[in-house]
Amino acid sequence: MLETIGRAVRTRIQSLLYALGFFFNVLKETTRFFRRKQVAFKVLILQILFTGYEALTINAIMAVSIGAALIVIGSSLLPQFGQSQLMYSILIIVITSELGPLLTAFVITARSGTAIATQLGSMVVNHEIEAYIAVGLNPISYLVVPRFIGVVVSMLVLTVYFNLFGLLGSFIVVQVIRPMALSEYLGGLLATLKVSDLISGLTKAFIFGVIVSVVSTYQGFSVNRSSTEIPVAGIRAVGQSFMLIIIADVIVTLIQYA
Amino acid sequence: MPEARRNQAPALELKEVFYSSGDYLILDDIRVLFPAGQCSVILGQAGSGKSSLLKAAAGLVIPQRGQILVAGQRLLNFNFRQEQDFRASSGFVFQDSALWQDTTILNNVAMPLRVHNPKLDQKTVYNTVSAILRKVGYSEDMMLRPADLSTGEQKLVSIARAIVHEPALLLMDDPVSALDEDAADHISSILEELKKKGTTIVIATNNSELAYRHADNLGVIKNGRILAFGCYDDVLGKVEFALSGSMARLLARGKRSGCADHLPDIDNPEIMESPQAGQRSTT
Repeated sequence: MLETIGRAVRTRIQSLLYALGFFFNVLKETTRFFRRKQVAFKVLILQILFTGYEALTINAIMAVSIGAALIVIGSSLLPQFGQSQLMYSILIIVITSELGPLLTAFVITARSGTAIATQLGSMVVNHEIEAYIAVGLNPISYLVVPRFIGVVVSMLVLTVYFNLFGLLGSFIVVQVIRPMALSEYLGGLLATLKVSDLISGLTKAFIFGVIVSVVSTYQGFSVNRSSTEIPVAGIRAVGQSFMLIIIADVIVTLIQYA
Repeated sequence: MPEARRNQAPALELKEVFYSSGDYLILDDIRVLFPAGQCSVILGQAGSGKSSLLKAAAGLVIPQRGQILVAGQRLLNFNFRQEQDFRASSGFVFQDSALWQDTTILNNVAMPLRVHNPKLDQKTVYNTVSAILRKVGYSEDMMLRPADLSTGEQKLVSIARAIVHEPALLLMDDPVSALDEDAADHISSILEELKKKGTTIVIATNNSELAYRHADNLGVIKNGRILAFGCYDDVLGKVEFALSGSMARLLARGKRSGCADHLPDIDNPEIMESPQAGQRSTT
């Protein structure tokens, strides 16, 4: 019994150390990425197109919908308590600091995280990773770093888009339901908007991007030999990413408001 | 063999190599020297450890113990530049082709050129790839993806990818598996040409025909252990090593023309561990 527990603990610690080693290796290779003559720039461009550009529509729809719902609810309820001016604070906090980075990270995890983990897992099973090593390409610098940079950049850009669509796009939708003067809306927003809210949102976006890309690539490479391990890697990538994203979100929020 | 090219081709040596996966011992105390500029064939049945031996020799799997020496230098201790030089001068043919599925045949074969000669213009790369694909007998469109090809065609592309940058060291894992007889003959003629150029070739296979036609040196592997390695005729003379069907078929064909003096002496196992072994084989 004690031996089993000890072995399980040792395996967990080894896995954690291995994951940390992987993370630091990715960081090290990232610093070298732009200095070396690389054939990986195409991989980076494709990753940004897939993760950033192709997710723009779903991200915009979510942002506009949530922003419109907040405006409608806020402008209906808050005046009853004489707190109409709070609508802008709620809108900014929810859109820029919380839901913007969080929902964008969830979308990226669901789309790109699973895709990255299953694609890399398939490459491991088909010995394509070994083929990269055989021709002189480091799998970390050729396969992981472009995905790491691509996901982080896409995460930041999509979060900015989420803010824009959530704060401005939603205003257009609201005009149909509850007309409001643009000058009044923009004035209220700008008076309430703080730089720290934007920084907090972008900091979270950066951290979430790092989490999604590193966890997904790590899980992809954790596949050993069998193709049945590939979907499992995808599931683990999503589960671990969601868990770490929420933990990171709480930590950043605590730091911001502490 | 051209002397200049022969000097470039590295000898490859595995010293006391142990490799296991989980609790399963795959390579058990491998000690073997593949002489520079010669063709060495490792024969063994399925599951004997041939592929793992070849991958360990190429640094594609990291053994738990032992050393892999390329021209006398430890492969696993190579820095980035040394590793790049090694990869630029070596090619590897995988048993199951291992082509990159997400890109075209052209890009698959062009990758070694783009990695090691980034200044080559697109037209030169295209022409070189086109020529090497014709040479190995591939006649389909270069813009197809690997999934569009038969297993045999994928194998040809895999061989083209391994030799497109004219490596001095070529490691081939079952190079003629999945090929029809004509295609296998075609690859044999390419191997003959590479041997004449002085390329160090290591082939892992259970194909006796390939060993008979090309092996300067022959090795027998079973259960992860090298049972014999040395000059082709000498290994065949050791009938106690006739353990597999391939070996039996080889024995039935008899010896060839005898061993050259410079080849490693399999009766003296220490020769394979001796630092002078590589020098003997390359002189």
